[in-house]
Amino acid sequence: MTTTVTPPTTTPTATPRFGRGTGLPQTVLSYVIAVLLAFVVSGIVIAALGHSPVDAFRAILTTSFKSSFGLIETVHKWVPLALLALAFTIPLAAGKYNIGGEGQLLVGATASAAVGITLKDSPTVVLLPMVLLVGLLAGGVYAWIAAWLMDRFGVNEILSTVLLNFVSFGIVDYVASEVWSDPAAGHPTTVPIGDGGLLPLIGTPPMHTGVVLAVLVCVATVVVMRRTVPGYELRAVGTNPRAAQVHGVRIGRIAVGSLVVGGALAGFAGAIEVAGVHGKLIEGMQSNYLLLGIIIGLIARGNALAVPFVAFGIAVLEVGASAMQRTADVPSEMVLITEALILLFLLFSDVVGARLRRSSR
Amino acid sequence: MTSVEETRRDVSQGSSGPLLSMEGIRKTFGPVVALDGVDLTVGRSEVHGLLGGNGAGKTTLMNVLYGLYRPDGGTVLLDGAPVDIRDPRDAISHGIGMVHQNFLQVDTYTVTENIVLGTSLPSWPAVDLKAPAARIAELSERFGLTVDPQARVADLSVGLRQRVEILKALYRGAKVLVLDEPTTNLTPQEVDSLFGSLRAIVDEGMSVVFITHKIRETMAVCDALTVMRDGKRVGTLRRADTSAAELATLMVGDDAAVTRVTEVVTAGMGAPEAARASGAPKQYLSGEARDLGDAPVRVSVRDLVVLGDHGVPAVHDVGFEVRRGEIVGIAGVAGNGQVELAESVSGVRGLHSGALDLDGEPLAGRPTAVWLESGVAYVPEDRHRDGILPSASIMENLVLGAQRSVRFRKGPLMDWKAARRHAEEAIRTYSVKASGPSAPAAALSGGNMQRVILARAFSHRPGFLILHNPTRGLDIPSTQFVYDRVREAAEEHSAVLLMSEDLDELTHLCDRILVLYSGRIVGERQRGHYDQYELGHLMAGLEDTA
Repeated sequence: MTTTVTPPTTTPTATPRFGRGTGLPQTVLSYVIAVLLAFVVSGIVIAALGHSPVDAFRAILTTSFKSSFGLIETVHKWVPLALLALAFTIPLAAGKYNIGGEGQLLVGATASAAVGITLKDSPTVVLLPMVLLVGLLAGGVYAWIAAWLMDRFGVNEILSTVLLNFVSFGIVDYVASEVWSDPAAGHPTTVPIGDGGLLPLIGTPPMHTGVVLAVLVCVATVVVMRRTVPGYELRAVGTNPRAAQVHGVRIGRIAVGSLVVGGALAGFAGAIEVAGVHGKLIEGMQSNYLLLGIIIGLIARGNALAVPFVAFGIAVLEVGASAMQRTADVPSEMVLITEALILLFLLFSDVVGARLRRSSR
Repeated sequence: MTSVEETRRDVSQGSSGPLLSMEGIRKTFGPVVALDGVDLTVGRSEVHGLLGGNGAGKTTLMNVLYGLYRPDGGTVLLDGAPVDIRDPRDAISHGIGMVHQNFLQVDTYTVTENIVLGTSLPSWPAVDLKAPAARIAELSERFGLTVDPQARVADLSVGLRQRVEILKALYRGAKVLVLDEPTTNLTPQEVDSLFGSLRAIVDEGMSVVFITHKIRETMAVCDALTVMRDGKRVGTLRRADTSAAELATLMVGDDAAVTRVTEVVTAGMGAPEAARASGAPKQYLSGEARDLGDAPVRVSVRDLVVLGDHGVPAVHDVGFEVRRGEIVGIAGVAGNGQVELAESVSGVRGLHSGALDLDGEPLAGRPTAVWLESGVAYVPEDRHRDGILPSASIMENLVLGAQRSVRFRKGPLMDWKAARRHAEEAIRTYSVKASGPSAPAAALSGGNMQRVILARAFSHRPGFLILHNPTRGLDIPSTQFVYDRVREAAEEHSAVLLMSEDLDELTHLCDRILVLYSGRIVGERQRGHYDQYELGHLMAGLEDTA
């Protein structure tokens, strides 16, 4: 045995480990690198299209902070993004994919509008809570359809939630163009809901108080996930459903519950859009929130605490997109490419990081 | 392809040096040094035992030989000439055959089809299996590996499937046959027959490497032995020059630890002298029945019928009682309903019919959480699949199952401070090697994972403890640890049900052994009346004549 090198005495137990997976500095570093790389690649694309990347990025990144209007717009945009991201990540923690966020949002919005229109003469104390609550419940019930199909018949929840999105488009179309149609709008839109159903505005320029409610929801979600029994059971099911089941967790119930809660939050987002932003139901109001919510949820790696912050970053990009189109003449869709690239580079950094860790040892 | 005849010729003509020698083999997996400059020399016509606890590197070394792993350093010499083995195909062409613990067989094929699969056969105008079948029949007769070449593999028992694997290696012209823990899941009768075949094989000039962690087996069949520990070779001896006690010392290493763990390595050897020195309670060692006095019945199972995963009954009309402080064993070859029985009596799998009472309280039909609250604790066979939350911390893992208990609750919220205190204490008392309560469970070794699972099971103060293969894959100190804890539970009046594939373990620990065959209890033996051959008879499904 002449060739054997003395092995480095590595005791695996002695190496310090952080709570979950990698340490915070490493995580932050991988995010920074992913964002930078995404901007570099987007910049190349923008330059290739014949525009100035510097102008484009200045428009994207500064619009939200240049004026208080920009900031309020960003915050308003943040509400549905954060809520839809949670609607995706909460079931994800139990290993279920809710791809029906926009359907749940639209059904919630439809229910809210229906209450707001039919009871339009009620005072705020009565109507506003009802509008919000009905939206929340409607979203939850709509997600429950998919959850029930999954639990009872084993229907794949990805499939059912996606398909229910199309059903919701039909519902909105019917309500907005047949039931309470506003013919003056020139686009399928309902008549406005009663003033009592509108969320109060605060400050100048005015910000609707739905923002406060969304912040509360985010805080509550984190507390529930980390500090309560259902949250613990939810995470247990997500890590190893078999082991959770063996130890008395009813995994079917947890899965159904997580989808219903996710749907309720998406419905709540719809209610806030109706009561805070539009004051009525408009076809197409779901925008691309579902897609962005999924991207946010994945960038946040399913971490409920990270979701609001990531959502804010994406809201900044979204608000900057239209400014970029105006000032730098770059199509606003470019921002979606940037967002997707951030996610891709982040996933890529996981692979690279794992390789580096392996080879450095 | 080298035939057996050529091998014999090689042997008679070949040099007098060793048939196989591996020198300075080194293999690392990330930070873990699995093999640290290991030497192995296997002579001609010998059964060479490769002895060591789990995690000692025995299987890794043989996987290097078989081309499944590329070594980081070291050389392999066959017949004195260095060989480069890049994959199993190379290994086979050099005359190395290996029988793994898990057989890779096509269930729907016949024995012959399985054996010729992967060899080159003339396939035009049609595959002719007559000649191979005749050769297989000849081989199986010559080496005492009786099996019908036309039988479908799916219909064969584990013992017969193993013969198929050995025949497969011989058919491919193996000069060196590696068997990885071949006695797992064999009845004592099948083990004897296997050993007979091994002798016939080496008498024909081939050599066998026999991987095991049981000293008893090496003493029974091996000519020479290499003992491994922690990825290193700690000694190579002739069987004639050594003793079980010396081997135990080599396997365990640390002299101080050896007295504590000898009972594990000598389990089933009928050598209680060594263990007596360990100071373990006398009643466990004497082989005499332990007097439980008039301890009341704690668990009573009646007319239990449990469905398997495909909706067909896997357990039929099983009934038994376990008294306070009693350890009852369930023996049987794997796949005879053990998983279904374990899961049903632990409340994980619903009962199709029948009843289970714990301290007089009927539990059948109640949700799993109620069983847990009533004091049922289950240590599952597959700890990765059923036992732990891999990405969660040790602390979170220890709470699992008790998350609704007041111990870890503070109002509507979970009391993570209490959970952390509990985890710190458990890590201390159960000697879990981990950096702390926040370490992810997936980073633990098998033994430490099992300690966490045991800590969780015992923190529920179990009235009824079910353990399924609790020491599988554990190193020697961890196995000893499990034995100690099981006894402790019995002394604290738990009713213990121990299901194991290891007969030595059962006869060593249990007050009473029930034999499970095809989902039925086919026999029962009391401590003091254990006869492994008799138990083996029952495990093989042969009628209980007693």
